[in-house]
Amino acid sequence: MKYRSLFLKIFMSFWLTMALTIGVLTLMSRISNTESLPERANRGPLREGLTLYSEAAIRIYEREGSKALEEFVRRSLQESGTEIYLFDAAGTPLTPNNAESVATVVKELQANPQDQPPRLFPLFTGATRATWGRFVVSATGKPYIFVARFRQAGGPPPFFTAPRIAVSILIAGVVCYLLALYLTSPVKKLKAVVQQFAEGNLDVRVSPQLRSRQDELADLGREFDHMAERIAALISAQKRLLADISHELRSPLARLTVALELARKNTTGKGIAALDRIELESERVNSLVGQLLALTRLESGAERVPPECVALEDLAQQVIDDANYEAKPHHKEVKVLQLAACRVRGSSELLRSGIENVIRNAIRYTAEGTAVEVSLTCPPGAAVLTVRDYGPGVPEAELTHIFEPFYRVGEARERSSGGVGLGLSIADRTIKLHGGSIRAENVPGGLLITIELPISPSPAMVQSVAEKMPVA
Amino acid sequence: MVSVLLIDDDTELSKLLEEYLQSEQFDLHAAHDGPSGLDKALANHYSAVVLDVMLPGMSGLDVLKQLRQKSSVPVLMLTARGSELDRILGLELGADDYLPKPFNPRELVARLRAILRRTSNTGSSVSSQPVHLAGVELHPESRSVTCNGKPVSLTGAEFDLLYTFLRNPGKIISREDLTQAALGRPMSPMDRSIDVHVSNLRRKLGPYDGEQERVKAIRGSGYVYLLPGEQ
Repeated sequence: MKYRSLFLKIFMSFWLTMALTIGVLTLMSRISNTESLPERANRGPLREGLTLYSEAAIRIYEREGSKALEEFVRRSLQESGTEIYLFDAAGTPLTPNNAESVATVVKELQANPQDQPPRLFPLFTGATRATWGRFVVSATGKPYIFVARFRQAGGPPPFFTAPRIAVSILIAGVVCYLLALYLTSPVKKLKAVVQQFAEGNLDVRVSPQLRSRQDELADLGREFDHMAERIAALISAQKRLLADISHELRSPLARLTVALELARKNTTGKGIAALDRIELESERVNSLVGQLLALTRLESGAERVPPECVALEDLAQQVIDDANYEAKPHHKEVKVLQLAACRVRGSSELLRSGIENVIRNAIRYTAEGTAVEVSLTCPPGAAVLTVRDYGPGVPEAELTHIFEPFYRVGEARERSSGGVGLGLSIADRTIKLHGGSIRAENVPGGLLITIELPISPSPAMVQSVAEKMPVA
Repeated sequence: MVSVLLIDDDTELSKLLEEYLQSEQFDLHAAHDGPSGLDKALANHYSAVVLDVMLPGMSGLDVLKQLRQKSSVPVLMLTARGSELDRILGLELGADDYLPKPFNPRELVARLRAILRRTSNTGSSVSSQPVHLAGVELHPESRSVTCNGKPVSLTGAEFDLLYTFLRNPGKIISREDLTQAALGRPMSPMDRSIDVHVSNLRRKLGPYDGEQERVKAIRGSGYVYLLPGEQ
């Protein structure tokens, strides 16, 4: 998972908020518990009640004796859970006494006899029981010490103990995890679909994967589907148009060629030269149509790059072999300086036509008796193919324009060279489609064209492709 | 006269070709859509079929697929120039050769003659002795092949290719020579059909036991048929 992913952001921020809330709540309840209870014991209804209790206990003792007091103590313990202890001024217990905290309280009271009530007395001896004590002077003027141990009145026993806090933060974590998952999973699905769409699979749609949702993300998915529908329709229309044009332009050309050959059979002498010219021109129209269609296909996005692994050195070798075959009659040659093993991802047919156009262009312009030099190197991360000719070169100012369709450099490079000015455009679009770059520069006595392509990381795929398409 | 069937939806082109091929001693019959072309091809004994890949209704590739189930008549495919996929698919489906459209009729005649020469050569081969080599058995007379005892169905071009390999095991044979031997014509530039045929042959025969391929590509030279254990 990425460090900055939306999932992580949502998950962490929600969880942090929840943990903080739990922490603050704990702290608040701690504060109210620790500070308010002794205070409450010394004022308000609690103190009132305890005072009444103490007076009642003393009255019962004085009037009815210790037996009745014991009965009162027993009933109090039974009914309200409050333990009651009564001592005389010297600290002699008048009720059965067990708790140690009670003795401590009595001792403290005796140490400060002037400290008559009301008095703050810190009496926490345990988590669940508090001890409260005071001097009481009875109606007959006898002083007593009254101590009561009672359940912590007011707030419930502390809920936020350390293990409970840990568990609640953990549960909050799980809930936040599920929430973040719920929010981001459609985004993830959307991303996967968009990715597939960009890779050329025009049939993918989001809706089937988000059918159970009705929220804004589902709306977004539906909008994407609308868009995908339209794009797919446009591209298929474009493809159909290209196929139709190709068919409609080529059918007459095909008939023309056959008619031409028929005419040739019945022609002698001067007519032959004219027929040769017709053949040459129709061949030019034919190759122009082919190149135009190739270029349009590349620019329209109808062409897509398959994730095939291509052995670039084999491809280059094939193109060079073919080019040599064509260059020989013109006393030109293609020389290989170096061919390193390079694997790139893409379509071998498209890459072949891209490289072929560059090498053919070089052959066209290199001087007779010279050789076009090709080298393929593989520095880390990229495959670099250079093609160098020994021709007239290109004026510096026009170097970037030679990749534009139908661009011609000056009058010197005109029709006699045989091209129509589309070869380098096709190469340029092809290389860019594969995520690479192409540039031209003048070198002493010629032109150097450099093609850079990103290399493919997985050598495993090469095997399968090599098996499918053997190359010699 | 040699009778040839042309399946192409362009009626005007068919007429012109008929006229042209007439003068070259071919008797051209035409069909203008897939189903009728398929019927004609199956009903009559043509020496060869010229099949356009772009056909209305039923694609030329479908016609080829169905034709190959019943007949081994040599098929020359006409493909749109630049449509490499059609070409490779066609050859894989068992077409004998292809010609990009628009083509020069002289080239069509040359290809047709090459195909016919190859198929008529059958029987009068240099030697009609069966060849046995590392599990592969090839019978020139019946033009049948078995690999490890199992029969292998090969097209005409693939058979001739294998025959050439088996007569020269372990030797590098150039792509030019292989094209000449298997397709009966010289190799032209940018011509990859021999590679597709080799690929088909490889696939149909399968590798040796140890995953070793039978046919190995030698870059810049050609192909070599390896014996088991050879590198």
